[in-house]
Amino acid sequence: MSQGSKGYWTSPDRRGAADGGVSPASGEFSVMSVGDLPALPRRDFLRLAGFAVGATSLIGCSRGKEREVAPYLVAPEEVVPGRAYWYATVCGACPAGCGVLAKALDGRPVKLEGNPQHPLSAGGMCPIGQASVLSLYDSQRLLAPLRDGNASDWPSVDAELSAAFERLAQGSGRVRFLVDSTTGPTERKAIERFLARFSDARMVTYDPISLSAIADAHQETHGLRALPRFRLERAEVIVSLGADFLGGWISPVEHTKAYQAGRRLDRHEGDFSQHIQLESRMSLSGSNADRRISIPPGTSATILAHLVDRVARHAGTAPPWQALPAAPIEGRLIEDLARALLSAHRGHAVVLCGDNDSDAQRLTNCLNEMLGGYDSGHGRALIDLARPSRQRIGSDADLLTLMTELEEGAVDALVVRGANPVFDLPFGPVFAERLRNLSLVVSIGERVDETAQHAHFVCPEPHFLESWGDSEPAAGVVALRQPVLRSMGATRPLLESLAAWRGERRSARDQIRDRWFAEVYRGARDAAGFEAFWNQTLHDGCAESEATDELAGEFRKSALSPSPSAAPDAPALPAELVAEVYSSPQVLDGRHGHNPWLLELPDPIAKTTWSNCAALAPATARSLGVATGDELEIEADGGAKLLLPVVVQPGQHVSAVSVALGWGRAGTERFAGVGPQWLEGEATVAPGERVGTNAAPLMVAGTDGIAYSGLRVKVRATGVKRSLATTQRHHTLFVPAGLARAGHERRPIVRETTLGELRHAVHGAAEHTHHEHPSLYAEHPKSPHHWGMAIDLSRCTGCSACVVSCQAENNIPVVGRDEVFRSREMHWMRIDRYYSGDGDEVEVVHMPMLCQHCDNAPCENVCPVQATVQSAEGLNQQVYNRCVGTRYCANNCPYKVRRFNWFDYPRQDRLQNLVLNPDVTVRSRGVMEKCSLCVQRIQEAKAAAKIAGKALDDGDITPACGQSCPAGAIVFGDMNDPESRLSRLKQDPRHYAVLDELGIKPVVGYLAKVRNRTEPVGTVNHV
Amino acid sequence: MSEASSELRRPLVDGNKSPAAVTEDICRPLEGRAGALWWIAFVIAASVLAVGVAAVAYLFATGVGVWGLNRTVGWGFDITNFVFWVGIGHAGTLISAVLFLFRQRWRTAVNRSAEAMTIFAVMCAGLFPLIHMGRPWLAFFVFPYPNTRGPLWINFRSALCWDVFAISTYFLISLGFWYIGLVPDLATLRDRAASKLKRALCGFFSLGWNGSTRTWLRYETVYLLLAGLATPLVFSVHTIVSMDFATSVIPGWHTTIFPPYFVSGAIFSGLAMVLTLMLIARKTMHLEDYITTRHVSAMCKLIIATGGIVATAYGTEFFIAWYSGNDYELFVFLNRALGPYAWAYWTMVSCNVLVPQLFWFKAVRGNLMLVWVLSIFINIGMWFERFVIIVTSLHRDFLPSSWTYYVPTKIEIATLVGSFGLFFSLFLIFCRFLPVVAIAEIKGVLSFGRSSKTGGEA
Repeated sequence: MSQGSKGYWTSPDRRGAADGGVSPASGEFSVMSVGDLPALPRRDFLRLAGFAVGATSLIGCSRGKEREVAPYLVAPEEVVPGRAYWYATVCGACPAGCGVLAKALDGRPVKLEGNPQHPLSAGGMCPIGQASVLSLYDSQRLLAPLRDGNASDWPSVDAELSAAFERLAQGSGRVRFLVDSTTGPTERKAIERFLARFSDARMVTYDPISLSAIADAHQETHGLRALPRFRLERAEVIVSLGADFLGGWISPVEHTKAYQAGRRLDRHEGDFSQHIQLESRMSLSGSNADRRISIPPGTSATILAHLVDRVARHAGTAPPWQALPAAPIEGRLIEDLARALLSAHRGHAVVLCGDNDSDAQRLTNCLNEMLGGYDSGHGRALIDLARPSRQRIGSDADLLTLMTELEEGAVDALVVRGANPVFDLPFGPVFAERLRNLSLVVSIGERVDETAQHAHFVCPEPHFLESWGDSEPAAGVVALRQPVLRSMGATRPLLESLAAWRGERRSARDQIRDRWFAEVYRGARDAAGFEAFWNQTLHDGCAESEATDELAGEFRKSALSPSPSAAPDAPALPAELVAEVYSSPQVLDGRHGHNPWLLELPDPIAKTTWSNCAALAPATARSLGVATGDELEIEADGGAKLLLPVVVQPGQHVSAVSVALGWGRAGTERFAGVGPQWLEGEATVAPGERVGTNAAPLMVAGTDGIAYSGLRVKVRATGVKRSLATTQRHHTLFVPAGLARAGHERRPIVRETTLGELRHAVHGAAEHTHHEHPSLYAEHPKSPHHWGMAIDLSRCTGCSACVVSCQAENNIPVVGRDEVFRSREMHWMRIDRYYSGDGDEVEVVHMPMLCQHCDNAPCENVCPVQATVQSAEGLNQQVYNRCVGTRYCANNCPYKVRRFNWFDYPRQDRLQNLVLNPDVTVRSRGVMEKCSLCVQRIQEAKAAAKIAGKALDDGDITPACGQSCPAGAIVFGDMNDPESRLSRLKQDPRHYAVLDELGIKPVVGYLAKVRNRTEPVGTVNHV
Repeated sequence: MSEASSELRRPLVDGNKSPAAVTEDICRPLEGRAGALWWIAFVIAASVLAVGVAAVAYLFATGVGVWGLNRTVGWGFDITNFVFWVGIGHAGTLISAVLFLFRQRWRTAVNRSAEAMTIFAVMCAGLFPLIHMGRPWLAFFVFPYPNTRGPLWINFRSALCWDVFAISTYFLISLGFWYIGLVPDLATLRDRAASKLKRALCGFFSLGWNGSTRTWLRYETVYLLLAGLATPLVFSVHTIVSMDFATSVIPGWHTTIFPPYFVSGAIFSGLAMVLTLMLIARKTMHLEDYITTRHVSAMCKLIIATGGIVATAYGTEFFIAWYSGNDYELFVFLNRALGPYAWAYWTMVSCNVLVPQLFWFKAVRGNLMLVWVLSIFINIGMWFERFVIIVTSLHRDFLPSSWTYYVPTKIEIATLVGSFGLFFSLFLIFCRFLPVVAIAEIKGVLSFGRSSKTGGEA
């Protein structure tokens, strides 16, 4: 057969045709002309016509509103609509600089997740970081420059500013540049270069929540002004005096990671650190401590002196002082602390102090020196001074000097960047007053804040997701920030503004690349090598730089004050109390005061939303005659009066009233319209008020720094009842007295054990048997997967990152203060917080609670319309478009995790609709909703595995809550896979299911809380 | 005309009426213009109904959030009112069907209005499951209709579906039973009708009644059959309503005692409501001869009996809660009696357990004003019973973190009040246009012609 006549066949049927035969399929594509159409009988025509008319009119009845959908004119080559793209960048929500991965869908970031490669945050995130993506879509961000409060444009602002700076450079040149610690290394460099042309210019760095005293104390004791990096994973014993290292102190995500890495049960005993917290308010760290001792506010220095003395005596060295002032707490407790600290191996015990008081910090350093915390003998030091943290680099002394200079008129121009001193300093109003005397005030920031209102020029900066930047959270760790979308308005990064005012035009990216090439990159000095390094760093988000170790000097005992200071006198209770202010777990120092996700995030301890509160000890509240929700007037000696709702806080010291900072930002009146507006609905913000109250007047500006506790205040109940929105109303696992038979008051919802019991007993499993219930129905096989979850109560710190992460992932609406007040918050994931005990020693447990996806779910069989059903893979699914809203499922849910759309809950700020996750339905009014175990992520991972042609691996799927958890408390997996991490956890003797006795077979299980104690559980007197 | 007397029992109708007099007595109020009293009552009832309509319209326009419910208490006034109204409906069927089968002929004086009450009460009840839905416009999802969604059926395991069938069946059977009973009376009205329209309407609805023996025979057969059909419904409806709660896992709901407890409670509340209405009708429509103190007394005795069952159920619940050793169960009951809703619980106990005890006294049963007041207390008590069962079980269930308190909003109160407006509006319309006493039936229990003194026409 010749090549040309070779017969190819396209189907077996056609083979014959190729061979010359007749194909039975030859009629398949035969051409048919119109004339060939069969005659349509009249009846058939009418039938079809009727159908067509009917169908057309039915289509016309569809509920959806038509909107314009414009396609890309030129589709970007790399963007596939509906597909998520991830960009590694650096979180800009606080100075901690955690690594994040921004998920961009159709060109807009919708979710932030922790970057697992980041050496500090290692994949974890905090609630504030999680929520910061919403701020990107805040319609009140400033998107164009302002000149004296009026809209302007960059060319004219640049022209004026360049001229002004030129005049200053020629003249006196007294320029100050005020920044906070979020300023990246390249930005600091650029600021220094910018200031070099002025004869008398200085960059002042301050932190609204200052830790300046730690660095100052190290300057004195170790000859190096640095904030050490605390490697808590290396600690066996942690004693913290008011340092809320899991909540708001320095770098909570990094600390939580490290803390939990140091508390592992799968290895030998020394791996589970002991944590003792001494504090006057109930902090997140205190709530997690193995032992918590409440101390009078402002007495840390005296307690530390006693501790130094006691440890020295135990160690057989001479105590530094002959005489000590009276101890504010019992000597027995100090002895306990000393013994605990000395029980650890040398170099594995650490004392943390949260006071911004250099006296207390010097004593802390002395104590840590005695305990060997700075020793870098084996591996690295627990308190790393050689590679210190750069997360807080502010100096209170510099700030106070600036204040003096302003007073003396020694400054001509002030540029404020990223800081809001008018709001967050105790002397904010005075600061504002002084700004009037300056010839030039420039504010660089994202919005017109309290300080920017006094500025001549306001230069808007892009959100961190829109900008280039870099960070160095600790010496030797560098990270790159890259934009995920183009700036939404005419904002301009600081680096470009500074260049413009110098008369240059150089993009922020190029400036960062220049510095990185010169200073960070250590490889071959060629462009190709740097390009590869740059691209790799962009991809990873971070890199290790070869920083040289900082040289700390020998410990100088002489730095200690010759005689330790005595504890302040106790205030005249209850009318006089000592105020303590702290960084808000929701809005931080106020920079997130416009973020509705955070405003509605329940405080991890008090479970309050939409306001900060005055926390009082139960005894103090009783003697003042106030209860939670009553209004309290706090009068500082300056005459400032604060009105705040009371929260009765177990564990609080009787002489302390503590208030979170950062609330009461200007402009928060805008939230009045958040939530449904109806007949009995109250506005989220009352007319003329703000969200919360600024507690800055309760700080103390001393001669060498700013203190956050110690101010004597007068308190008075005003008699007004505030409708304080809390998400939890009953705070213990104990039912009220008299409503249960004696000895059965505690509900067995949370199981607790102690390390001693766990190590030595066969396990307390005997009393906690698994309940097997006979069933009339055959069990449904769950295949190929049976999804489940395990939550380790020992690891959960209650930080609430999962709550916001879930909110972002699942399009959960913000419902407003009044709805929360009516117990209608919508969070799918909540953290139940229970107290036990009363008085000084209160125990706290945090229990993340979400849909338990029961295999035998009580919600499913009561739904009349089958709107909630079990999937073949064991998920309890809610079918929104089938739901008619009878709410029986919610009633019948023993965990009360179902959430009902009582109203339509639209976003008040329509721009914020851009943050909606397109993979998750936005629910309408009248529909029930609840945790889906992030079914969209499960489906996405399954599809990806299918396309890749491989089986799903354990860990391929992580729900939003588990992803953001810095403690690694939430493990999701397949229970059908006996090798999965989850299956192993389900075999752990600590594992139990809540309310298992109901026979509902929840697939979310919990691992009992372990406290590092030798005595068995239950020895604390429950009241 | 002198009193008829019997050695054995007193006659069921006083005044030794003749059949003609009965027809005259009962039909007279329906003919001519309505009195001022009726108009006043109707205007009040219709205004109250209008308030309810406005509340429901606002609810539909805004969302279920206008009620005071929350994430923990998903049902409040809505389902309380539903169960309350279903319960009210029970006495009607009990009186008309059960007592008919048991040949309790005293029932003839009250059965018509009791049945009407049943129908109106079930109409009120049926509203609440509809309006309590988050998306009431999709309420048809609860019916098993053929569809192209799979087909997607309703969940036959859900008690709420059983409810749909139970309530609709009950409504249809009650309506049919009531209508069949009305047929001879409609014929009477037709024959007396002065206007053409009325004659045509009554003629149409009396199904060509001609009073022949054959008609009577057919009528009585159908009536008996319907009575037999309706009787199990008296027990099934509230049994199924009770299963709305009993099939759950919530302590305080998950109880096997619920079916008999609910049925007796329903009859208890229904009888109280019959008394409330009957005593007004008796006074205003001058039916003292037909609804005698003996009728009232009989109903009071039934109230003692059913009230006793209800009281026993209250006690049993507590005993079982203690005896079961289930801490959650015990807590719910202690929390009812001593917790934040203790006021509601003790209102319920006072009204449902203590008040009926007064009916042991003949003097109380004879004092109709007092009986009327006490019947209202029982109505209040039975409303609270449902409130206590629903709200106190929900507001503090398993996890203390989710405990809340439920307070109704103005809208909810307006809806409850509005449902009374609907009920009374319908009842007043019924009193105005249909005979409130079964004319044909009551003639069968007249003493007329049975007394030796009145001569020997029979």
